[in-house]
Amino acid sequence: MSDTAAKGGTRIQFENVVQRFRVIRERPDTLREVFTRLFRNRNSYHEFEALKNVSFSIADGETVGIIGRNGSGKSTTLKIIAGVYEPTSGVVNVSGTVAPLIELGAGFHPDLTGRENILMNGLLLGMTRQKIRACEQRIIDFAELGEFIDSPIKQYSSGMIMRLGFSIATEVDPEILLLDEILAVGDAAFQEKCMARIDDFRQRGKTVIFVSHSMSAVRKICQRAILIHEGRILADGTPDEVFERYDDILHKPIGTT
Amino acid sequence: MGQLLWELLKNRELIWTLALKELRVRYKRSALGFLWALLNPLLMMGILAVVFSTVMRIAVDRYAIFVLSTLLPWTFFSQSLAYSVESLVGNGDLLKKVRIAKLVFPAAAVLSNIINFLLSMIPLLLLLAIFRFPLHWTWVYLPVAMLSLILFTMGCSFFFSIANVFFRDMSHIIQVVLSAWFYVSPVIYSLDFLPERYHFYFRLNPMLYLLNGFRLAIYYGQLPTWQSMSMSFGCGLGSILIGYAVFRRYQEVLVYYV
Repeated sequence: MSDTAAKGGTRIQFENVVQRFRVIRERPDTLREVFTRLFRNRNSYHEFEALKNVSFSIADGETVGIIGRNGSGKSTTLKIIAGVYEPTSGVVNVSGTVAPLIELGAGFHPDLTGRENILMNGLLLGMTRQKIRACEQRIIDFAELGEFIDSPIKQYSSGMIMRLGFSIATEVDPEILLLDEILAVGDAAFQEKCMARIDDFRQRGKTVIFVSHSMSAVRKICQRAILIHEGRILADGTPDEVFERYDDILHKPIGTT
Repeated sequence: MGQLLWELLKNRELIWTLALKELRVRYKRSALGFLWALLNPLLMMGILAVVFSTVMRIAVDRYAIFVLSTLLPWTFFSQSLAYSVESLVGNGDLLKKVRIAKLVFPAAAVLSNIINFLLSMIPLLLLLAIFRFPLHWTWVYLPVAMLSLILFTMGCSFFFSIANVFFRDMSHIIQVVLSAWFYVSPVIYSLDFLPERYHFYFRLNPMLYLLNGFRLAIYYGQLPTWQSMSMSFGCGLGSILIGYAVFRRYQEVLVYYV
């Protein structure tokens, strides 16, 4: 873990980032298709730019909400920060550890118990076995799972799985926490707890990136919001300003802006 | 090669946990659980012993042990491959969400089968005792034979797991290849059962050298020749070098294809 970035220093920097995907009309998934493709024209894919020249920087201790319509490039941005995608061009600098909470409970196995999944998930998020042991009880307590912890998680309710996932990811104690539309589930009481924990993160000078469609959640958590639309940044400012802009485009059909 | 060792070492806890998970999930819902790892080779051997020594009348003294000495390492190889070919595609969802070293998945598939292989040594030892078959001192050679086989298997696993990302046919092809490979490899027979004129072709099969050490050490109580030892180690080394090179070449882009 690097604590080199000084408080208030830049945590995440995107400079002219372009992310291009080949969207397959018919990708040759099988050998037969490869062979038939050899004799046909090869343009069975088109390029799709998920991000077109995106630049922004996020400092230590900021909580930033990323908003935008479906397919606007929000998740792609998170995945680049998490290091899952390499951008096609542009420069990305991310300093510090990232907990990629792209989807809570990614990697959970339904046949394993809660405790076994804590170990599995923690390792996937980059913790050591020793560290996981040390904070296991805190994870269980926070997730309020009680004696369910030793049952296979296929018997859990979706709320329980979500609580467990959130609890593990925040216990990793990363410098950058990525949250992708995850607070939609869970009851009000647990949402309060999550908010409190995110707040605690912020106060300890950590960076939180929060993707959401919920105006109220972004207002509550973030001091800053970024609006992405069709792969470009349309607005960057306080949540109030940005949501005003978001309202404008929300009612236009995609492709007219 | 150094890069490979470093990555394996760095991710050892994850690989180990994934391998245990795989075993646990494999045996979890069955009444006999881990006992299946022991029963499977016994049953398999029982079938082969009946078919070959009574139906086909192959005259080999204590055929059960003759077969098991190569069948167990072969099963390790084929199971590892069958598991690892799906390992990247099967974990595609995860690869798209978390940044992890991609090689942990094929590596865990191989490791879980190493554990399985070691467990299957128990019924073999049991059979030795039942048949009053001597436990030759040449057993000390087995770790060396195993090393070559593991290297070979890992290389194939790397290669086919990533090939399957780009061509999903691989998982079907590999099933067919494995069953054909089984019959052209000296698992249920040995090379001297065959007419001399075919030997040349059978010597092109790396499995010949890789399995040879197991049978010699367990059944005949002999060590393989230097040539055979170096051939098997060479096959292992060649496989891992090629397999890992291909894997490294494509591991960064695979996330766009899973």
